[in-house]
Amino acid sequence: MATVAHLSRPQRWDSPYDPEMQDSDVQDLLTRPEISAIDAGSFPDSLPLEGILKNDTRIVRFNPGDIVVREGDYGNSAFVILKGKLRVFTGDYPAALLGRETASKKSLFETIAQVWTNKRTPEVRDTSRYGDQAVRASKRGGRSRRLDSGSSVFVQDIPVVLNKYKTAEMSEGALFGELAALGRIPRTATIFAEDGATLLEIRWQGLREIRRFDDGFRRMIDNRYRQNALLVHLRETELFANLDEEALDKVAQATLFETYGAFDWHVSYQKMRSSGQSSAGNEPPIARQGEYVDGLLMIRAGFARVAREYGTGQRTLTYLGAGDNFGLEELYEGWKAGETVNMSSSLTALGYVDALRVPAQVLEEHVFPHLEEGLIKPAEKTERTLADDALLEFAVEERFINATQAMLIDLDRCVRCDDCVRACASTHGGNPRFLRHGKTFDHWMVTNACMHCTDPVCMIGCPTGAIHRSQVGGSVVINDDTCIGCSTCATSCPYDNIRMVEIRSADSHVVVDPATSQPILKATKCDLCYTNPGGPACVRACPHDALNRVDFHFDSITEGDL
Amino acid sequence: MAASRVRILMIVLASGVIFDLLLLESENINIGLGSAAELTGYWLFGVMVFLTLFNLRKKLSMIPLGPASIWLALHTVGGVLALALFWLHTGTIWPTGIYEQVLVVLFYATVASGIFGYVAQKIYPPRLTQSGVEVIYERIPDHIFEIRDEVEALVLQCTEDTRVDTLGRHYLDTMSWFFRKPRFFLSHMVGSQMGRQWVRQQDANVRRYLNDAEAEFLDKMTELAMLKNGIDLHYALQSIMKRWLLIHLPLTAALMTLSVWHLLVVNVYAL
Repeated sequence: MATVAHLSRPQRWDSPYDPEMQDSDVQDLLTRPEISAIDAGSFPDSLPLEGILKNDTRIVRFNPGDIVVREGDYGNSAFVILKGKLRVFTGDYPAALLGRETASKKSLFETIAQVWTNKRTPEVRDTSRYGDQAVRASKRGGRSRRLDSGSSVFVQDIPVVLNKYKTAEMSEGALFGELAALGRIPRTATIFAEDGATLLEIRWQGLREIRRFDDGFRRMIDNRYRQNALLVHLRETELFANLDEEALDKVAQATLFETYGAFDWHVSYQKMRSSGQSSAGNEPPIARQGEYVDGLLMIRAGFARVAREYGTGQRTLTYLGAGDNFGLEELYEGWKAGETVNMSSSLTALGYVDALRVPAQVLEEHVFPHLEEGLIKPAEKTERTLADDALLEFAVEERFINATQAMLIDLDRCVRCDDCVRACASTHGGNPRFLRHGKTFDHWMVTNACMHCTDPVCMIGCPTGAIHRSQVGGSVVINDDTCIGCSTCATSCPYDNIRMVEIRSADSHVVVDPATSQPILKATKCDLCYTNPGGPACVRACPHDALNRVDFHFDSITEGDL
Repeated sequence: MAASRVRILMIVLASGVIFDLLLLESENINIGLGSAAELTGYWLFGVMVFLTLFNLRKKLSMIPLGPASIWLALHTVGGVLALALFWLHTGTIWPTGIYEQVLVVLFYATVASGIFGYVAQKIYPPRLTQSGVEVIYERIPDHIFEIRDEVEALVLQCTEDTRVDTLGRHYLDTMSWFFRKPRFFLSHMVGSQMGRQWVRQQDANVRRYLNDAEAEFLDKMTELAMLKNGIDLHYALQSIMKRWLLIHLPLTAALMTLSVWHLLVVNVYAL
């Protein structure tokens, strides 16, 4: 007889943000003016406001100097100040203050000196350096689950910092971080606790529901975005560049904000990838082929697939990223011809997509009549075969479109000599920062090397901000000094491109934590040799021009280009 | 035209110009009843030293010494230039005198191993890609071990399920030889399909004695054997692409040593 295993169907709140959140906490929150302003009656029974507060929020306490959000970091939550004061940096301040690496390019002598300074044992560190960093155990007044790793970077000597750098005060009731959380864009400011502060942290799922069901909250969020960023964004868009202030304001007022897919797309994608499933057919639709075009879609963050029906499936024509738009040609042609047009292709979210929808009516009234001739060009009708687009289809399916610097090897040229691996190792303390192994398609291999993603999910959740974008070049790098070896980034990377390594002392001994007798780990990955002159050593080392770093969106991947 | 081809063309042109100038100058010296051997000899030695620097460039990959692909292009064209200079310098393809003959043998062997490596590195990578398998060389023993493990489990399962040991005996008698270690090295090297043919033949040899249930196990075994054959191909071709340097480099070292001695002897006694 066949047997079955039993498991309750997973529910929306099976994994609360903070399992220790109590009903009494929720009741306290409901009495606060910021929360009581939300119309609890507008929420459906299946998603009550109390449930959101209990499952999608947590109360976090910060000690003086604790950094709450760090400029340039990616976060998935917003904050409301319940008690205490915070400070936001409004002027320039040193990156080192945030635990960021301030490494500069090596001089020629320092580069040559690696010949005799490189140790025979890999991953040797000067452990005395680690003591200089302002990293401390996190003991935030009881239950703080925000930093699972138990350590954080903090601002030292607050009075000096306040005197030396420009800051502004943020007091009780202030909401911040919601635009970065909902838009999946980097935090635009650094905020730290001046005195001890208690904050309500709302994860993006909760934010999304509150915005969805409470008109007041949505208006507040949308207005903040309109005031802070939308006008600037529209003005920088070529299509709206010629509009006067009044028309631009009308466009901004009519623009709708839409999000598709899951913020933590990488989690489901990792599961799908490991089980060998295809994502096609599971992508949230944004626009469907054949439907009426009701507005221009402008992608703010994330990626979307443009596809057309082909046989019994969908054939990928291209993919869109931040700054791209969809539907403009159809809208413009329809307006010129005086008739309604339908979508000639469909648009689906590849992971998380944050988009702006400018209604057709607004475009027809304010934009199209004043449009310069030639600004909108009809799409080129080039006949491409399935074989022509196969590599693109592969890149989209495997989400390599996220890459800005994917390591692509032409296997028809690669002689498997591993010169690239040795060059990487000799530039990085004896251990290569990538594996010459990875997904292959035809004669191309995308190796397990950090791709320096447009949407770097590895940066979400780093407790110390050790993994960050470098100030020069924007590559994703790890500050070894502040990395606490928690593996959050390595676990988050959907492409398995971050490795945890055991470090060694100058005398080549494995460094062990005396409290646990466990080896000290550090996250390592490709840093594009950003401190070395001459660019990535792997590319330079390939004698056969087989290896290159590519962005699938911009680089034409053909035989002659590599 | 691809950048790499333009690069090669420019290096070839530059080398051609250098050789033509040397040829002209040698003619002038010879017309004046002088000896051009000193000029061509020093040029030849200089080019040979430059060719050996390519290996140094590989060892110092952390220093920005330019792309290795340019170095390889220079190395390749420089090798051809060295051969032309060698003939210009010696005026013959086979000199007299034991020392010179040893020197010439080393020179030709170095050039020949270089040409072999160059050709192998052009021909083999597409063949590896076409195998449909991609493996890291150092992991090949592990892969073979895993496949052998899987096949042996399959054979045991077959015997248990069908209560017949035909496939088991076939494995022990014939197929275990194939799964034990990399096979058909020479065949893979020259591009023959002997390995694939052998696997198919063994499949056909035993299939007529199997029932339907056993045939399903044989299908899986043949599939694994084909995978193993692909790994064997990688083993053979990657071995060659890695090991030809183990001939080229010692030959180069010996050649350079004898060349330095030749230079010293010539400077002490002949000039």
